[in-house]
Amino acid sequence: MKNRLRPYYPLLPVFAAYLVLFLVGRNVTGMWQLAATLVFYCALGQAFNIFLGMTGYVDFGYVAFLGIGTYGMATAITGLAGYPQLGLGIVAIGFILAIVMATLLSMAVGAVALRLRGAYFAIATIGVNEGFRYLIEGANLWNGSSGMIFTAQLNEILGRDLSSRIMTFWADVMVLFIAAAAAVVTLLYMKSKIGYALTALREDEDAAKVMGINVTKYKIIAFITSASFAGTVGAASWALKTPYVFPPEVFEIHYTIEAIIIVMLGGAGTMLGPVVGALIYGISKYYLSIFLPGFQLFIFALVIIFIIVMFPEGVVGVIKGKTRNTAIAPYIM
Amino acid sequence: MSLLRLENVTKQFGGLVAVDKVSLEIAKGEFVGIVGPNGSGKTTLFNVINGVFYPEEGRVFFDETDITRMPPYKRAPLGIARTFQIPRPFASATVRENVAVGAMFGSRGKSVNVEQSLEIADRVIERIGLTGHGRKNAGMLTPVEKKFMEIARALAMQPRLLLMDEAMAGMHPGEIDNMVKFLVEVAKQEKIAIVAMVEHIMRAVVNMAEKVIVLDHGEKIVDAPTRQALSDPRVVDVYLGKGAEEENADSSSA
Repeated sequence: MKNRLRPYYPLLPVFAAYLVLFLVGRNVTGMWQLAATLVFYCALGQAFNIFLGMTGYVDFGYVAFLGIGTYGMATAITGLAGYPQLGLGIVAIGFILAIVMATLLSMAVGAVALRLRGAYFAIATIGVNEGFRYLIEGANLWNGSSGMIFTAQLNEILGRDLSSRIMTFWADVMVLFIAAAAAVVTLLYMKSKIGYALTALREDEDAAKVMGINVTKYKIIAFITSASFAGTVGAASWALKTPYVFPPEVFEIHYTIEAIIIVMLGGAGTMLGPVVGALIYGISKYYLSIFLPGFQLFIFALVIIFIIVMFPEGVVGVIKGKTRNTAIAPYIM
Repeated sequence: MSLLRLENVTKQFGGLVAVDKVSLEIAKGEFVGIVGPNGSGKTTLFNVINGVFYPEEGRVFFDETDITRMPPYKRAPLGIARTFQIPRPFASATVRENVAVGAMFGSRGKSVNVEQSLEIADRVIERIGLTGHGRKNAGMLTPVEKKFMEIARALAMQPRLLLMDEAMAGMHPGEIDNMVKFLVEVAKQEKIAIVAMVEHIMRAVVNMAEKVIVLDHGEKIVDAPTRQALSDPRVVDVYLGKGAEEENADSSSA
């Protein structure tokens, strides 16, 4: 019994961190917003890690998947506002729509961009994010640049009490569950052929190919998985928590940059890395903006340069190396 | 019946003809040495055989199937494996995981799951003499150990054709002899055809190859049983420059 559960030990520290975040947020006055922000960063990192961490490809347009997920939820709520009897079913439909739309976008982007390697991929994906934003604004999709505000519809569907509970509490809890689900998927991938294929192609794509790995297929699997999690994060954290959406906000590239920082800081391709990265980044950003307002990005730039040069494998990568063959090794992955 | 057959294969890079109308056959279980100086087109030839490059002209047949334009990842499961001149381990993965990847994706015609692959990896690692290194990161091995690991990774694919790019470079004579002994044994037991590309280490070729193919400027100039090939004056010309044989004869007589 003990042996069969052993592969799942790496989930324990991840879940423990989430539980602590939740309890601190709930029980310490004034901490819920900080906890919610940290949970958002955890989910963002955990979702992005499935692609960035496992394949080594940097997607600078990643925020587009959060954006389109936000629009997915917005579309469900505004489109089905005439059927309040569906109640929470509309929220469920919103999540499904967010996943479907993020998946479709990632398939379209992946089909083109994943043929490119390294820096070319990164540059192409910046274009996707910006291009998609201008498409929405220019073609007047989903109200174009005036955006969508759907607080009223959410109130109508769920009633004022429940909808405000969702905005102030349940949306964040959903993000927490999304983060946990992304961690579980990461572990399942790592333990399966997918994980082996992704490690191989991340380390040496040409060698992976001649060993029989269909690298395009596995890159697309990681890309779609990562994108659909991003879609749900957008749907929960950006559509349900704040029921409005404006293109410049949901296609803002600095979220992608933050996601990259979180994953690299914590340890790309590790299970625990995104959580550690999210906590370090989120907490220091919060306190730096209090004590040294305006300087946080400058300080982060220095920290990131230091980390990349000194510990390219990230905090968890270093811990993993140091704890090899010790009693805690099975928990660190 | 041949295992691998190349017909008039030409591969160009811009104006440079790296492989020029090369035809050759490798029989099942045969041990072949491909020799030629730096830049003679050996590595390009390997890349054409395992699909990294597609040739401009000519055809490649494996087991009588035309694989000229088949992507590399589909060739591996047919039984084509290779090692690289400079080892290319998946550095952040352990040796065991590296070797398991070979079994997992390269195994001929059958689906091998993660557990089975790891078991195969353990067996191959032990057989090749890397016992005790299985849980190390592949990036931490010495260069020679990396070469052994690459061979283990290739053997875990249970190949029918193993292409070895300078597998013995950087090894000392004792290691080369061990490697040769091991390869000859494995090839016999598992009926693997081995094509070893060698630049300078003739010791290895003489001891294991049944046949030697000599390339020069992308052209095949000799294709003959080992002894005969190595005494061919054209081979001496390629390696030591034209007229070297006469000069050599002069100086020894003087």
